[in-house]
Amino acid sequence: MKKTMPYVTTVAGAALLVFGLVGIKTFGDVQGFMAALPYICIGLGCGALGGGVGEIANRRVLESNPETARRMEIEKNDERNLSIANRAKGRAFDVMIPLFGALMLSFALMGIGMIPILMLVAAYLFVCGCGVYYRIRYEREM
Amino acid sequence: MKNRLEDIRRDRGIKQEELALALEVSRQTISSLENGRYNPSILLAFKIARFFDTSIEDIFIYEEDVQ
Repeated sequence: MKKTMPYVTTVAGAALLVFGLVGIKTFGDVQGFMAALPYICIGLGCGALGGGVGEIANRRVLESNPETARRMEIEKNDERNLSIANRAKGRAFDVMIPLFGALMLSFALMGIGMIPILMLVAAYLFVCGCGVYYRIRYEREM
Repeated sequence: MKNRLEDIRRDRGIKQEELALALEVSRQTISSLENGRYNPSILLAFKIARFFDTSIEDIFIYEEDVQ
């Protein structure tokens, strides 16, 4: 499954890209979501195609250079690198929480509609909920 | 926590790169350990001790007053 994934992504990306390009030519004067759909497909298709081709090229290069592949694997699993990445994520999370709060307050004071504020509050609570969930889970695991 | 990793490594004539490859960590990790900027996990400490065929206490020096 893991081996075929980049090929699947590449084919799906190419299909989305073609669908999007054909959609622009054939959809004519449609309104609303349908008007934006081909452009969304082109965006997603380009992303998937680029990612898939990049992954295939990466695998080909690494297959012919096992020493480089081993070094990359070591760098990826290096405990100091993982520790740095986790600390950086923790710091970013600490910054994000008050930032979200300030943003919600600003939006409320600016009189922006109820729906965007409620969506922001929901996202904020979801992130906080994830934090609590993982804290409880790790408390049980460790 | 202080350590004697650099001294032991130099005594054995091993390069940072070689030690890093043997322990499956990055060269920067070895450098940070030697400079005292990074304290290893207990697993890495054991790996280092085993690599040099010595005990953890011979390499890493626990200083209570630092804590």
